[in-house]
Amino acid sequence: MSHPAHDPHGPVTRPGETADEALEHSAAHDHGDDHGHGGVGKYLLVFLALCGLTTMSFLTYSPAWPWRDQPQVGWAFMMAVSCTKAMLVVLFFMHVLWEANWKYVLTIPAAMMAIFLAIMLIPDIGMRNRMVSQERALHMARASDVKLLEKAAEAAVDAAH
Amino acid sequence: MNASAISVPHGHDHGHHDGHGHHGHVTLQYQPGLPLSKGKLIMWLFLSTEIMFFAALLGSYVVLRFGAAVWPKPHHVHLSEPIGAFNTFVLICSSVTIVLALEAARVNKVGLAKTWMLLTLLLGTLFLGIKAYEYQAKFSHGIYPWKPRGLIYERPDLYYGSAVRARLGEPAMIDRLKELDDTPADQLSTDQVAARTRLQQVRKMVASPDQQAFDLAVVADQIMPLPAEGAAHAEGGGDGHGGHGGGLNDVFPWLRLPIVIPGGNMWASTYFLMTGFHAIHVLVGLIVFAILLSYRLDAKRAGMIENAGLYWHFVDLVWIFLFPLLYLF
Repeated sequence: MSHPAHDPHGPVTRPGETADEALEHSAAHDHGDDHGHGGVGKYLLVFLALCGLTTMSFLTYSPAWPWRDQPQVGWAFMMAVSCTKAMLVVLFFMHVLWEANWKYVLTIPAAMMAIFLAIMLIPDIGMRNRMVSQERALHMARASDVKLLEKAAEAAVDAAH
Repeated sequence: MNASAISVPHGHDHGHHDGHGHHGHVTLQYQPGLPLSKGKLIMWLFLSTEIMFFAALLGSYVVLRFGAAVWPKPHHVHLSEPIGAFNTFVLICSSVTIVLALEAARVNKVGLAKTWMLLTLLLGTLFLGIKAYEYQAKFSHGIYPWKPRGLIYERPDLYYGSAVRARLGEPAMIDRLKELDDTPADQLSTDQVAARTRLQQVRKMVASPDQQAFDLAVVADQIMPLPAEGAAHAEGGGDGHGGHGGGLNDVFPWLRLPIVIPGGNMWASTYFLMTGFHAIHVLVGLIVFAILLSYRLDAKRAGMIENAGLYWHFVDLVWIFLFPLLYLF
């Protein structure tokens, strides 16, 4: 029996059988004579890759990282690592790699909506500090406050020595 | 589910079965609109709403953070990268164990499936335990998402100074401070003696009529210093920070004086919202695993395990993005 992912019509029910039963049937068949996907070895390989990628996020902290004064490079790197990890989990652990084309119907619109959602927040929230009321300007933290606190910490270190 | 009927004239079979339909002239064959079971379809529909739910949370975090004038460094809010990385590792392990439970159930290895499922449950519980420990570390430093428990002030300004003065002027606090001042030095540790002297200076500075702007930054630094970047941060203070032995709030936890973390309030709101919702999802997953453990996990239950696994992998997925965004950025 062919695999559902490669069968354009999906599993076919026999008379007197519900659709779900037919799927169970075909799934049972798949694992009877098809070892094309899954397998403990493959999962362990993915697991090792995920662990390795998690460690890679810390590369940005190592002294050898050449872009220490440009945090944006590190952020982009970490997001690339995260997206790779997410892809591995989705493709292998969630079996999406071996699913039929319905996977695109469910995931792509949701992902697009998610991206639009974040973009739509930018004008009102992301740019909220371009024009602020005096009231807010009085109370909000600024970079100068961090500088002031750092200076106080240095003074305390100097006093201790 | 959508089912369409295909009528196939008797005798002209596509070649997949059969031995049926010897009596009728027409055999009806049904096929589902989507080649997946109802449970899995519903789980994927649910997950696509979950994608948008977490995208809203993560998206607002990113937009709030990068639109902010100042955002605290992970060390300023007592986040520890190794703990976060370990939690990532725990969740990845639990993703593997649930996948292995599914594989075992598919080939009717009931005992093995139960073992993997139990391991998943334990790993999930470990994750929540570590999360609770991390929350405790925030709470003990006065980092809450709301007042009055939250002690965070945005900047060392007059409002902050008067909040410190007000706290020091509370009747119970006055008694406690008097008690501390009267305690002989040999009953205190060297750390506490030094901190007592610093506390007396802070009290003088806060009450001083000719106070300078810089004085309040010194006060804030004495109460809870912002650890310098790159300094190894030992949880719970100690001699870790520069010249002085920890903040006054660390040496005398009963002080609970207001602290200054520029950008700290928004940080606390987003941190607790995102990790809180993630923790609720973990909790729901654990309940599902506990229910599944009461079944015989054979090939008949493979569908249920797969759906629970899909949900669990999604929870793992969210953490994969939360970890760098919160701990490493």
